[in-house]
Amino acid sequence: MAEDLVLDTAIRDWVLIPLSVVMVLIGVLRYFVSKLMRSSQSPDAKIVKEGQIIIRARNLRAGANFIPPKSFRARRVYFSNEENGLLYVPKGQAQNAQAQMFSDPNMAMDMMKKNLSMIIPQTLTFAWVNFFFSGFVAAKIPFPLTQRFRSMLQNGIDLSTVDVSYVSSRSWYFLNLFGLRGLFSLILGEENAMDDTQRMMQMSGFGFDPTKGLSAEKDGLDIVQHEWALPKFEQRAEAVLRKLVS
Amino acid sequence: MVSKTDEAQVNRLENQVDNGGGGAWEYLCLVRKLKLRRSDKVLKHGLSILNDPKKRSSLGPDEWTLYEQVAIAAMDCQCLDVAKDCIKTLQKRFLESKRVGRLEAMLLEAKGSWAEAEKAYTSLLEDNPFDQVIHKRRAAMAKAQGNILGAIEWLNKYLEIFMADHDAWRELAEIYVSLQMYKQAAFCYEELILSQPTNPLYHLAYADVLYTLGGLENIQAAKKYYASTVDLTGGKNTRALLGICLCTSAMGQLTKGRNKEDKESPELQILAATALERDYKQRAPTKLSLLTSTLRSLKL
Repeated sequence: MAEDLVLDTAIRDWVLIPLSVVMVLIGVLRYFVSKLMRSSQSPDAKIVKEGQIIIRARNLRAGANFIPPKSFRARRVYFSNEENGLLYVPKGQAQNAQAQMFSDPNMAMDMMKKNLSMIIPQTLTFAWVNFFFSGFVAAKIPFPLTQRFRSMLQNGIDLSTVDVSYVSSRSWYFLNLFGLRGLFSLILGEENAMDDTQRMMQMSGFGFDPTKGLSAEKDGLDIVQHEWALPKFEQRAEAVLRKLVS
Repeated sequence: MVSKTDEAQVNRLENQVDNGGGGAWEYLCLVRKLKLRRSDKVLKHGLSILNDPKKRSSLGPDEWTLYEQVAIAAMDCQCLDVAKDCIKTLQKRFLESKRVGRLEAMLLEAKGSWAEAEKAYTSLLEDNPFDQVIHKRRAAMAKAQGNILGAIEWLNKYLEIFMADHDAWRELAEIYVSLQMYKQAAFCYEELILSQPTNPLYHLAYADVLYTLGGLENIQAAKKYYASTVDLTGGKNTRALLGICLCTSAMGQLTKGRNKEDKESPELQILAATALERDYKQRAPTKLSLLTSTLRSLKL
């Protein structure tokens, strides 16, 4: 395009700035709402114990060579025997774990709360932006961009002739939605800034299987070759003492 | 484990605060962070902050943490009135808080009203069955009442869930040693060695237990663990050096009359004895004669 579009300054004052301010305010508000709704969940007995078992088994694997062979073998049997070993997971149970998690009403409730605090304000603001500010150009970025950015920056404008460096109001909303994370971490403190992209990642992480850690640890323990390190220490002690005495 | 730099910093700060140089709050923060037990100092300096309204209000929300810290320190020093005042202030601020409830139960315990404290702890555990502090308090309470077997029971119950807590393992090991249940103690020390394989103190304690258990195999193993202690401490541990001498002598007695093909090289204990003599000559010359006569009686 040869001639530039001239943007009304009223657009800046009544669209661009209000939109950004509203997005920030909504982010802050949502943070406080989710803080109110967060239930302090006490950890499940099984999960606590499994975590501890894994730590202890890992210690055993790492320090195996420091205890006598007999003690090591006793511990290995204790951890990984097929009847009631701590790390042994019965086959049927392993598959059920996920289903169990879904059937747990508390967990579902928590997920609901988390999602509600994310989805409701998002739909509302999107509807608001769509209703009031749809279909026009709100800003111009000061450098040229390639055609591929058109769908990102000119959402809501179906004109292929407009230069890509113009930003539509709806796209400005999206940019704000995903780009305000740094600002939130400034306002709300480092760890409190939870933007939507992160939450979405958390969502997809749901469905993780806690029994996997146990069986992985069991496999690791099964292949440990025990070689008592202590006989070597006698020679090392001799060397140390010889150095000390001489 | 407190690292050396941390300890030096604490001592420096403590010195500074003791001599009126300020920095009391930093000192208290550091003590809390490192979980040190310096109750008398904490009580003294904490109270001086709490009794000064200006200093206290300048802490902001940390004021309440300080109240808790001072309350626990006061209970440790048997200043129960101070502890009571602190807990009352906290109670007014935090109604129905579990954390304050824990402090109240601890106050009951400090007063020695065991039954009431027990009841309070039990009700707290019902709300939150994974409060490690309360589990440990219960074991400590049983021990304080002289109910050692009860303490063992609590610790075992605790370790069934929190089996990676090496402090609890150490406590259990020490209790077992005090009851002369050496096999159980040996198991606990093995667990401790697994959790911190480079800590020479665990090797030493394990060797002691093995030597006390007796039997050729155990004494051979004990000698190996004494040797590893020597290696890990750079030969500076007198107990480990003496342990090597004792083990060798005991092994000599046990294998007397048998064929000597599996006898180990005598070099280690000769070196250990020489190192001991050197050490005594340097640090306690008057006791050197005692050492030489002991070593001679061990036929080294």
